Amino acid sequence: MATITKPAPSPTASTPGARRRRQAMSYNWLGGGLSWVWLFVAMLPIYWIVITSFKTQDNYFITNSLLPPSEFTFENYKTVIENDFVRYFFNSAIVTVGAIVPAVLISFMAAFAIVRGAGSRLLKGMNWIFLMGLAIPLQAVIIPVYLIIIKLKMYDTLAAIILPSIAFAIPLSVLVLSNFIRDVPKELFESMRMDGASEWGTMWRLAFPLTRPALVTVTIYNALGIWNGFLLPLVLTQSPDQRTIPLALTNFQGQFGVNIPAIAASVTLTTLPIVLLYAIGRRQLLSGLTAGFGK
Amino acid sequence: MALPAFVWFVAFGIIPLLGVLALSFTTWNGIGTIQPSGLTSWRATLSDPGLPHALWVTFLIMILSWAVQTPLSILFGVFLAARKRYRGFLAVLYFIPLLLSSAAIAITYKSLLDPNFGLGTGLGIEWLNQDWLGNSTLAFATLIFIVSWQFIPFHSLIYQGAVRQIPTSMYEASQIDGAGRMRQFWSITLPQLKYTIITSSTLMVVGSLTFFDLIYVLTGGGPGDATRALALAMYQQGFQANLMGPASAIAVILVLVGLGLSLLLRRLGGRADDSQLEGA
Amino acid sequence: MTNNPISRRNFLGLAAGAAGAAALAACGSDGPSTSGGGTTTGGGGGAASYWSLSGPPGQPYRQAAIDRFNKANSGSKITPLFFQNDAYKQKIKTALGANEGPTMIWGWGGGGLKEYVGSNLVEDLTDWFGQNAAVKDKILSSSFGAATVNGKIYALPIETVQPIVLFYNKKVFERVGAEPPKSWGDIMALVPKFNAAKVAPFSLAGQSRWTNMMWLEFLLDRTAGSEVFDRVFAGEKGAWSDPAVLDMLTKIQDLVKANGFQKGFSSTTADSNADQALLYTGKAAMMLHGSWSYGIQAAQGGNFVKDGGLGWMNFPAVEGGKGDPSNTVGNPGQYLSISSKATAEAKDVAKKFFSTTLVDDEEKAGWVKSGGVPVLKGSESLFTGADAQFLKDMSSIASGAKVFAQSWDQALSPTAAETLLDNIAKLFQLQVSPQQWVDSMNGVIGK
Repeated sequence: MATITKPAPSPTASTPGARRRRQAMSYNWLGGGLSWVWLFVAMLPIYWIVITSFKTQDNYFITNSLLPPSEFTFENYKTVIENDFVRYFFNSAIVTVGAIVPAVLISFMAAFAIVRGAGSRLLKGMNWIFLMGLAIPLQAVIIPVYLIIIKLKMYDTLAAIILPSIAFAIPLSVLVLSNFIRDVPKELFESMRMDGASEWGTMWRLAFPLTRPALVTVTIYNALGIWNGFLLPLVLTQSPDQRTIPLALTNFQGQFGVNIPAIAASVTLTTLPIVLLYAIGRRQLLSGLTAGFGK
Repeated sequence: MALPAFVWFVAFGIIPLLGVLALSFTTWNGIGTIQPSGLTSWRATLSDPGLPHALWVTFLIMILSWAVQTPLSILFGVFLAARKRYRGFLAVLYFIPLLLSSAAIAITYKSLLDPNFGLGTGLGIEWLNQDWLGNSTLAFATLIFIVSWQFIPFHSLIYQGAVRQIPTSMYEASQIDGAGRMRQFWSITLPQLKYTIITSSTLMVVGSLTFFDLIYVLTGGGPGDATRALALAMYQQGFQANLMGPASAIAVILVLVGLGLSLLLRRLGGRADDSQLEGA
Repeated sequence: MTNNPISRRNFLGLAAGAAGAAALAACGSDGPSTSGGGTTTGGGGGAASYWSLSGPPGQPYRQAAIDRFNKANSGSKITPLFFQNDAYKQKIKTALGANEGPTMIWGWGGGGLKEYVGSNLVEDLTDWFGQNAAVKDKILSSSFGAATVNGKIYALPIETVQPIVLFYNKKVFERVGAEPPKSWGDIMALVPKFNAAKVAPFSLAGQSRWTNMMWLEFLLDRTAGSEVFDRVFAGEKGAWSDPAVLDMLTKIQDLVKANGFQKGFSSTTADSNADQALLYTGKAAMMLHGSWSYGIQAAQGGNFVKDGGLGWMNFPAVEGGKGDPSNTVGNPGQYLSISSKATAEAKDVAKKFFSTTLVDDEEKAGWVKSGGVPVLKGSESLFTGADAQFLKDMSSIASGAKVFAQSWDQALSPTAAETLLDNIAKLFQLQVSPQQWVDSMNGVIGK
């Protein structure tokens, strides 16, 4: 059985082992080549979005779609911001954070309970029920959810989006997290128990840190889903000040056509802050994904 | 301890699901009165040739997108895990497709793939001016491509983290034994990634079952019904053809398929008594 | 034990703080302006509510009408909400299904309205129109067809009439040395001519399905008159089996096989206006489209329309066809109904809105400015400026048509409409034979 040692050192330090490894290997042609190709493939649409955001609707079709516009215009950005973009952004942020944090926390607690209490029939039953929820299509249950929200008198609030979002994030999170917690060697739990720790304490002080990679994965996955979620905000809110960003895109879809440059501007504005966030927090993210329980 | 999650899920997940189950035994057009009608909707759904087709489309999407995304994500993850300066910059750029909403992505690609004003005309490459969204096979392939474009960044991130976790001692030991890069990849990297592959695959497979937004905006299920996956068939029956009964039946079928899949996945992921780090 | 950059305690603290802040913010946004659910005004503090489509060209004029009314009736205001087209369709359905709909329901009439009537969701306005004959007289009579179900009127026709028109690029015709077609035979003869000149004969947004449908509508009408579809609409069994239908379907597939449409037409979508761009950039010679396309081409096509490059005409006749060549299809109007579940007070406000603001002169002028022909009579004098000729022609097509049929996907029930659009897509893809098409459609008659 592997002994517990310190996990990987922080990414800022380059260990002698790694350097030696790199020097000993020849250049990774397959990986490198593919990655550059992929970069081109990945970035082309992004490039298109950015340059289109500076074009006007009239010259959009007339000029080559891949060339930057001859006359840059900020008109689209102006339109987007005038259309209450900042408020939509904050609404989206509130909904996402407000849903993710509880969702991940309670999913973690449930996953822990299920793994630790593997004998209990009650917990097994709960697990089954969570599994059933894996493939519930949102479009199917939207009307009953809508009715529930109305009964709770929460229609047209951000909470209306948050509450069901949490519920829908639970099954998958529990699945992934419980798989991961199962990996934690039982001996660790034994030793905590012998030190007199309660289950609650064990959960937070042992399992939580060790499960970090899965927690980060699940958080990102769900956060993206909620941030870009369209159906729930559409059905459960209606006033303009409760709208979220995906709904903002629809502002530029008129009755007879789509204002593509404006949409491009809206998408660019939405993505920019998150890209910055990611650029800054990437190291933390990666260290979170890398943390393990032994090396 | 599992109570909060359970209660929440029952409230907003199970109860609506039971509602949908009940709806599948009714006839309702979405706005009028709900009329209980026994097995009528079920019979209509099960005898509709569109249903097996939708099931097939869904599975095809699931399998193909897994087959494309997993190898590529592993490759990129391994590549990005080695620490070089510009790789950090690349990682940020790679991540961007993930941040876009499916609707935005669909709109972008629809414009890029326009046979008269899109990529082909822009780059001057006539071959790119195919009937991408109008030909059944091409539309399907395009869909898989776009899904991969959107989600490979995410999965490669997961793999990147997992690869970093592999002890370098393992690689060093194998090098002493004379193993080349390929050998190391197959004998060390892949086995160590086993649980990550399962996690990533779980997310992929389950996600593709309820896949809706992208397909809806990109092809609407078309051309014809070439890309009409289960979730789309359900939406069209319910909200476009106003047949909520059969739509609910399809929804129940979707849930059952999901349940079956998740059991399968649990079986794969459940063997966790052996530590992955043997031999470290 | 572990090397956490963020200690567990801090993390939990952060999480709790974030959740708390989010909860507070969510509660805080549950402000006085929200309805809190359960009211039949469907949202907002006004006396009556009105939901409609957002975006150009219509939203400014709809908003203007509401503002005019609210100014004149400060005691009983109307609260508007605007949604994008598809989002609106989704929203209105879920809202009505949960009894949370608005006072005034905007729609396209026809089959959709029939469903509302069948579920007792809209007010019967026949008597009201009887008492307010002056209001009825201000509106084109052909627009009432789609507002009538079982002989009773359930909606007020509003906004504009939008016939479908055959547009063509005059410059391309000059270049190739061709004349605008006067019959179906002319059309088929023009196809190889344009193909040889590397111009697509017709631009079509094949992916959007309803654009394909316009072809079937016109061809069937010209070939056999409007009676065939009337029989379908009336729910007659096997009504699609009329030989004229098979003839029409075959003609369409012939046109597709002859490369009558641009390359990759099945990938071209209507919402990006790519099909219209094909016409005004000269890559296509002709296009069958709604009259609203004029405004879009004028706005986005640079100087194309201004320089007189755009031509238009009613769909030509089919040789040996029984249909009246003056017939047209399209949207005979947009429709506003009153929810039967609204409070009496709200209904009165709505009716006042109907009888005053929605039929006044500013309404008429506004819609003319939007580039359309209003459903209100007597707007010819307002057709001035660059668009005058177009509007005049549209107006005469609309009022001169012996039959102004409603688009099939609006006239039929949503269930049948969905099958229709499906089959039409397959027809253009040459994936079904005309007989298969007929059989499939016969299966959903009356559904």
